[in-house]
Amino acid sequence: MISEKFLEHEIANLNVHLTQKKISLKEAMLSEKPHVQTKGGGKHFFKRDELDFLKEIVSDEDLDKLLLPITIMMQLKLGRGSARISGIIEANVIGKILGKPFSEGDILYRPEVVTIRAKLPTTTEYLFLP
Amino acid sequence: MSYKIAAIGDLDTVVGFGLAGVAQTHVHRNADETVAKLTEIFSDPEIGLVLITHRVSEELKKEIRKLMSEKRHTLLVLRIPDKTGFTPKEDELKEIIKRTVGADIVLNKERS
Amino acid sequence: MAKIITVAPTRMELIKLRKRVALAQKGHDLLREKMDALILEFFNILNKINAHRSKSVEQLMNAHKALSKCLAVVGTVETIQAMRESKRESKVDVSTRFIMGVQVPIAEAKIERGILERGYSFYNTASAIDRATKEFELALLSLSELAELEAAAYELAHELDKTKRRVNALEFIIIPTIRKNLKFIVMRLDEMERENFTRLKRIKAILEERK
Repeated sequence: MISEKFLEHEIANLNVHLTQKKISLKEAMLSEKPHVQTKGGGKHFFKRDELDFLKEIVSDEDLDKLLLPITIMMQLKLGRGSARISGIIEANVIGKILGKPFSEGDILYRPEVVTIRAKLPTTTEYLFLP
Repeated sequence: MSYKIAAIGDLDTVVGFGLAGVAQTHVHRNADETVAKLTEIFSDPEIGLVLITHRVSEELKKEIRKLMSEKRHTLLVLRIPDKTGFTPKEDELKEIIKRTVGADIVLNKERS
Repeated sequence: MAKIITVAPTRMELIKLRKRVALAQKGHDLLREKMDALILEFFNILNKINAHRSKSVEQLMNAHKALSKCLAVVGTVETIQAMRESKRESKVDVSTRFIMGVQVPIAEAKIERGILERGYSFYNTASAIDRATKEFELALLSLSELAELEAAAYELAHELDKTKRRVNALEFIIIPTIRKNLKFIVMRLDEMERENFTRLKRIKAILEERK
């Protein structure tokens, strides 16, 4: 039989790729090799063209307020494949990419998650919540 | 981190990539020699990308698979067609899709 | 398949199993969510590979065409000589990114030498060599991107395989087994209660008779 230890380990490991400390878009743009540290100790690099793409969308005063990577919260209680975005500015950015009004707390459905992840593969991250 | 590039294949491939500035090149003549060279390249910490022509990779399938399973994380291996454009029908990636998804998937060419 | 149930039919065990089934269910739901996300990522990358591969191969074929021309015009020996003299300094930048705990490489080829720094001597080389070099450099840039995508697909497929196996184990073996044990304990406890009940009735009857 499976031990509880194994399951707890699996659940704890689900979010091990999250970043320890997010950096702002401005910081990322200025840095030569924009990257963040993950909780597991690895390095996660951002792609330059995605940063440029985000810069086009974000207004100038929000440049140092937009924190990267943007967290896509997959919440089980919302149903399979649905997510939310944390942060007001982040939610705005997502709304602009999807081309519809979107604010923090609104639910993001699966096809929209697909679109976001295709456009921003390195500057978004998943967070799994029960 | 910057890494060097290696190319293995027929003479044309090697000459071409050699002109493009690839650091390690090897012309495939016989299996033993190429396997020795491959082992050397795979264990070299300075190499980051290895280009192998499909023809060579078909011939040395078993050896290359073994090397692939033991390779470092930062070493990329790519199979490329040679000048005749030779690519095998059953490519590795398709096999993997079959195994993981459980179905043969024909991807839509017009999309994306 | 009849399997002998080896749990002790006690209340302690019942409480333990209830906790365990809740945990297993939670683990299963979370892992399935992760699997869904992995599948999404996997297909994203496959689509990108498909779009990219034909482009890369076309570039490579162009490069080979330029090289054949070069071999014909300049001569095989001279071309190989130029290759020997060329500066072998093309590099590839490999860094990493994470897709849900899967470490995926990012590769970017860098060709920093200018036309004048290619290394082979000028006086006896024709423009055909330059053309071939340029084409192969372009092919290299394109191929490194393809290599990155393919490596990502392999890593994701591996993780997907692992996750799928776990989800299936939880769904079809572990959770049903725990449920079966739970049911066994509940039935056994109920049975014991009934046994006790009749026993008490019987004792009561015997005591009544003695009076």
